[in-house]
Amino acid sequence: MPGAAFEQLKVLIVEDNQHMRSLLRALLNSVGIREIAEASNGSSALNLLRERKCDMILTDLAMQPMDGLEFSRTVRTSEKSPNPFVPIIMITGHTERHRVEEARDAGVTEFLAKPITAQSLFSRLAEIMERPRAFVRTETYFGPDRRRKTPESYAGPWRRHDDFQDVQIQ
Amino acid sequence: MPHKTKPKAQVIPPDAYPQLASKAQTAALARTLRSHVTAVTATRVIEESGEGLRDAVRFYVEELEAAGTNLVLVLDKAHEIRGFAETAGMLSTGRIADGLCRYCDEAEQRGIVPDAAVVALHVSAIGRTARDPDTMTHMNDVVAKELAQLAGRKLAESRKTLKNS
Repeated sequence: MPGAAFEQLKVLIVEDNQHMRSLLRALLNSVGIREIAEASNGSSALNLLRERKCDMILTDLAMQPMDGLEFSRTVRTSEKSPNPFVPIIMITGHTERHRVEEARDAGVTEFLAKPITAQSLFSRLAEIMERPRAFVRTETYFGPDRRRKTPESYAGPWRRHDDFQDVQIQ
Repeated sequence: MPHKTKPKAQVIPPDAYPQLASKAQTAALARTLRSHVTAVTATRVIEESGEGLRDAVRFYVEELEAAGTNLVLVLDKAHEIRGFAETAGMLSTGRIADGLCRYCDEAEQRGIVPDAAVVALHVSAIGRTARDPDTMTHMNDVVAKELAQLAGRKLAESRKTLKNS
């Protein structure tokens, strides 16, 4: 039963604007998500994560003293992180290409541009549930697979163990 | 023969780490998230949050106007306004803030200093539309379009100047 499943979900909202936090909470409430914690920056959010379980994070990008990028990186790579696999949705008005790439490289699962709509938020949630992504660990990165798809023309470099299964040696 | 290097990445498939819900629950949850009933309820929620969001936009507008010629601060506040205004129902304000962000972002990418007059005109228009209770007047729409064209012209002029120098 969907309602019951939503009630079990624990979500953390990290956003410095109180109005946006309230809106996100209300939207999550509207589908039956009740267990919602809030933090106004990345640093406070990390403290909250150490105290309580969290199944999903919605975070803003620009915050002080710790922004959403550093927060995401810490969640993914800190030895003290309670759940490095937790889905992270970054919700921000900063939609420049380099920001999106920074978010991707920080280990963000989905990127959602403000202004948000209910449809855009819920479609990201559904995406995370229906199509969970593999995680990749390299010397410099840990997070969701950044290759959404591999183009047929991709000629390498081949750095993954499972890449070898797909490559036809000619 | 494809170029191959020693594999350095470890791939962890989704079934090897904890998921939000069981596979049986997932389809039902996604259906709920995409349902018409959910959309209607959520739209009402956004409408009910409108006044608070409009307050937030007006707060950012005041900060934008106070930023003066500090371009970093102007851009930071413009991004915040772009993020809130449309959700708050302030469509013209959102559109003009979006235009300002795009103009400054593109100027930065091309190594051009944004034209102070173009920035000032956008800031002024954002202030006026944010205080206008009628959020989608024809005049606001015209202003947004004119400013977008002005920003486009200025970028084109800067490109020509850079090419010729």
